[in-house]
Amino acid sequence: MSAVLEARNLTTGYGGAMVLEDLSIALNEGEVLCLIGHNGAGKSTLMKTLFGLHPAGSGEVVLRGETVTGATPKALALQGIAMVPEGRGIFPNLTVDEIFEMGMWAVGVPEAERAARRDWVLGVLPVIAEFRHRRAGTLSGGQAQMVSIGRALLSRPRILLLDEPSIGLAPKLFQDLLAPIRALQQEEGLSILLVEQNVREALKISDRVEVMKSGKMIWEGRPGELSDNRKLMELY
Amino acid sequence: MLWLQLTLTGLQTGALYALTAVGFSLIFGATRVFHFAHGAAFVLAAYVFYWADTAGLGMIPGIVLAALAAMAFGVAMDRLVYAPIQRHEGSFFTVFVASFGIGIVVENVVGMVFGRSFVTIDSTLSQSRELMEGVYVAPLAWIAIACAAVFFAALQLFLRRTHTGMALRALADSPELIRVFGLDPRRLSSIAFALGSALVVPGAVMTALGSGLNPALGHHVMLISLAATIVGGIGSIGGALVAGFVLGLAENLALIAFPSQWSEAVTFAILFLVIILRPAGLFGRATAH
Repeated sequence: MSAVLEARNLTTGYGGAMVLEDLSIALNEGEVLCLIGHNGAGKSTLMKTLFGLHPAGSGEVVLRGETVTGATPKALALQGIAMVPEGRGIFPNLTVDEIFEMGMWAVGVPEAERAARRDWVLGVLPVIAEFRHRRAGTLSGGQAQMVSIGRALLSRPRILLLDEPSIGLAPKLFQDLLAPIRALQQEEGLSILLVEQNVREALKISDRVEVMKSGKMIWEGRPGELSDNRKLMELY
Repeated sequence: MLWLQLTLTGLQTGALYALTAVGFSLIFGATRVFHFAHGAAFVLAAYVFYWADTAGLGMIPGIVLAALAAMAFGVAMDRLVYAPIQRHEGSFFTVFVASFGIGIVVENVVGMVFGRSFVTIDSTLSQSRELMEGVYVAPLAWIAIACAAVFFAALQLFLRRTHTGMALRALADSPELIRVFGLDPRRLSSIAFALGSALVVPGAVMTALGSGLNPALGHHVMLISLAATIVGGIGSIGGALVAGFVLGLAENLALIAFPSQWSEAVTFAILFLVIILRPAGLFGRATAH
C-alpha cells in the first residue's frame, strides 16, 4: 500500500516546549490507522500539524508524495483532507443545517451540489435528520459528534483525521458512531487516521496501530499484535 | 404633553444609541475584543462628515466618506493594534489599555484639527415642527428611527442568511474551529470590525446635524454602547438594540424628575439594576455553552 499522508521527521511544540520530536508516521491508502497514547503524548498536536492548524518547527508533511508543510486547512481540504477536531466540533449558536451549509461554503462546494452532498451525509448518518433544524448547542454529546463528522464528510474527503471522537460518549454510542464510518471507509476506500483513548473499541475498526509516547512513536503493528502485547495493553 | 415630547426625543436618542451599541455588540460578540475605541470611530465619522459639509461636498458624499473613515479605522485597529497583541497572547487588559489609548489619541488629533469647541451643521432636517399642541419633532427624529429599523433588519438578514454572516456568528464560539472549517478567523474579524464601525455612521451623521459635535463625544458614545451591550445581554445584537432604545428613553424621561446633568447617572442606575436583577442582561443566556 502506498502512503497518502506522511509526517517526516516532524518536530514542533508550543513556545520552548517540544511536543513532537523527529516524528515520522505514514497513513496508507484505504487503511484505518489508529494512533494511541496517553494525554500529552502529542497526538492532537500531530493531527493539528498535519491539517495546517499548528506550524511545523522542522520536518515535512507530505500528501501523496508532495510536500504540503504549512499549507492552510482550506488548501488541504481542497486536496481531499478533512478533520474532525477533539471535543465538540460544532458551533453552539448555529443550527445543524447552518453548520453543514457553512462547512460546504468554506471549502468551496458549488451551490448546485450542496443539497446532494447534504442528502448523502444524511444517508450515511441518518439520525442527523431528526435534529438538523435544532441549534447545535442543544444537542447531546453523541449528536454533536455525529454532526461534526457529518460536516467533515460533506467535502467528500479521501483522507479523514478523527481526533478522539469517543470523548464524552458512552461505549455503546461510540460503537454506533464508528459503525457507519467503518462501512463508509470500506465502501469508498477512505484513509482514516484515528486518534483514540478508547483503545479496545478503536482497535475493532483499525487495520494498523501506532503507539505514541512523549512526542515519539514507540510501537507499530496490527491490532491483534497489540491485543497480544499484555504490557502495552495494560498501559493503554 | 411633556412626557410625549420627551418620549419622542427619547426614541430619537435611543435610535442613535441603539445602532452604535449594536455595532459595538457585533464586534465584541464576534471577536471578544473590548473595542473601547468604538467611540473614537464615532467621533472620526462625525468629523469627516462635518469636514465634507464645510468643504461643500454635499450630504451623500459626506456620508460615504464618513462610512469609509469609520470602517478603515475599525479594520486598522483590528489589524494593526489588536492582532499583534493577540499574536503575543496579550491579556484582555492589554487590549483595553491599547484601545483606550488610541481613543485618546483620536480625540486629541480631532481636537487639534477641528478645535475643541462645539460645532454643528445647519440643516432643515434638524428644525423642529409642531406635531400637535406643545409637541415638536424634527424630521431627523423620524429619519433616526427609520435608520435604526432598516439597518438592524439588514444586519439581521446578513447574519442569518449569508455565509459570511453565519461565520461571524460562529467566530465568537471558536476561532480555532473556524480554521478547521477552512475559514480565516482574521479575515472574519476584520469584517466584523468594518461592519460594526460602519454602524456608528447614522448616529455620527445625525449627531452632527442635530445636537452637535465635540472631540470628547466618544467617551459618552462608548459609555452608552457598553451599557447597552451589558443591559441587552453580552453577545445579543437584538438585546443591544432594545437596550439602546431603553437608555435613550430613560435618559430623556428622567428629565421629568431630574436636571439634565443627571442623564448619565440614569444610564448607570439602569446598568446597576440590570446587573443586580438579571446579570446575563435582558436577552443574554444565563448559562455558558
